[in-house]
Amino acid sequence: MITIDQLRYVRLGTRDLPAAVDFGERVLGLQLVDRTDRAAYFRSDMRDHTLVFFLGEPTEKAVGFEIHSRAQFEATIAELSQHGIEAVVGSEQGCAARKVRALASFRDPGGNTIELVLRPLHSGWRYFPARDAGIVGLTGVALRSRDVPACEALWTTLFNGRVSDWVGEAAFLRFDQAHHRLAYHPSAGRGILAIEFGVENVDLLMQNNYFLQSAQVKIVHGPGRRPTSNQMFLTFAGPDETLFSFVTEGDDIADEATHRPRQFPRTRSSFCAWGSESDVPEFC
Amino acid sequence: MISLLDVSYVRLGTRDLGGAARFAVDYLGLQVSEHRKGTVCFKSDAREHTLCYFEGNPADQAVAFEVRDKDDLDMAASELERLGHAVRGGTEGEAAARHVKGFIAFKDPSGNGIELVYRPEHSGKRYHSSRDAGVTGFSHVGLCSSDVIRDEQFWTNVCNARVSDRIGDAPLLRLDEVHHSIALFPSDRNGIQHINHQVETGDDVMRSYHFLKERGVPITFGPGRHPSSSARFLYFEGPDGMVFEYSSGVKSIADELLYRERQFPFEPKGFCYWGAKPQIRQFRE
Repeated sequence: MITIDQLRYVRLGTRDLPAAVDFGERVLGLQLVDRTDRAAYFRSDMRDHTLVFFLGEPTEKAVGFEIHSRAQFEATIAELSQHGIEAVVGSEQGCAARKVRALASFRDPGGNTIELVLRPLHSGWRYFPARDAGIVGLTGVALRSRDVPACEALWTTLFNGRVSDWVGEAAFLRFDQAHHRLAYHPSAGRGILAIEFGVENVDLLMQNNYFLQSAQVKIVHGPGRRPTSNQMFLTFAGPDETLFSFVTEGDDIADEATHRPRQFPRTRSSFCAWGSESDVPEFC
Repeated sequence: MISLLDVSYVRLGTRDLGGAARFAVDYLGLQVSEHRKGTVCFKSDAREHTLCYFEGNPADQAVAFEVRDKDDLDMAASELERLGHAVRGGTEGEAAARHVKGFIAFKDPSGNGIELVYRPEHSGKRYHSSRDAGVTGFSHVGLCSSDVIRDEQFWTNVCNARVSDRIGDAPLLRLDEVHHSIALFPSDRNGIQHINHQVETGDDVMRSYHFLKERGVPITFGPGRHPSSSARFLYFEGPDGMVFEYSSGVKSIADELLYRERQFPFEPKGFCYWGAKPQIRQFRE
């Protein structure tokens, strides 16, 4: 079994890099740490970067996870291969672009690109945001999949993922004490559905709500509270229709021995306990 | 000095008693405590009733405050008469209808109808609502004032209220440790400016926000958070344009000796520190 250390970054291809950079700085309020004419790197916490926009197709997206040791890294590639999943070892340029020592990428059964990295860069300096959004860090990613059970099986048998809860077929997977780091939603499409950034508390969440309204950013769901993770959330549209969520007050699952995943029905009220509505097909 | 213990109930005239009662039950989440000809009363907590709608003119309103006993009531009556307020003693029948042992009625300096009551009834039965609004009880009123500086003097010198904070010149006044039971706002009219019920949690405020919005109830301010009381709030319009508020998490002021009231600007950010903008007349310049 392969141990995932932590969710590390999200990479988003886009044809309009300047617009994406503006969104990252002005709307998300992240700290721009590196900018070339092909890519922009944003920080949200003590990691070197957690969000990258790069010049490419909007369908080119990837989620990065950290693996701990070189031995585990080699073992991972072998295990994936044994299960019929081809892991492509990253080139020197690929690693340099991601600021990691080693890289192996594969596609999950839903067709999403997952990157496993070794020794990703940390930053010695404090996170300093572009605006006071109260962001504490990248906390989770929601993915679409045409075959959620297969994705769930991959993460829970090959890797150390555990299911925290289900909403219909949608699965919330944890790798540490946070309720989920990865969520899979049944969908006709594929790719990243939403990227979650934690904010300090309800005050920051609601200040962001009014800020986004006045900045005319499209809020697609919330402010609300998820019955699954107990997180308060606010979900809004970013570049290339990728969704972003601010979240806060999520439950930790500390007792591995006793937590049993709960089955919530696939209804609107399973996605929000406050009653907020959404047109996003995966959330209703 | 007139010692007010707590706010007790609100009486509101209305031309559409059925409509008002439906709003109180289905939307506000109150419980009917009594239904007489021409009057419907509602519970929101352990008290016998905290809101009464009666057939009449919507401008006919009263806010009742509890005093300790008959002596305090009689002393208050003399004091108010001495200051030039006309005082009317409630009849036995009127007191019985209000479920109090006795009361007097007068007008505050802005002309708002005030009743002082003693021995208001508590109910043997618990409050239970037909909708899960999380209401914990009727908590405070806002009052329209034609001169907030003069009226602050009335409530703090003639009566025993203390200023907890001001927004511009509008004082938020406490009678006990709850941040405010009375709030005065400058207005060109008199009358009750808003009626507040407390709800259990911030989640209840947000649930009611979605519930009311879906049903087309005008949301006039919020959801937001008051910098003064730190309460999370929602204001919305009910029958006859009356503004109702849900809030949760009102802070307590226990240190009467050392607490100092603060001055907030009379701007949206003095009313809400999340960024909500009020659509309520008395909260705008």
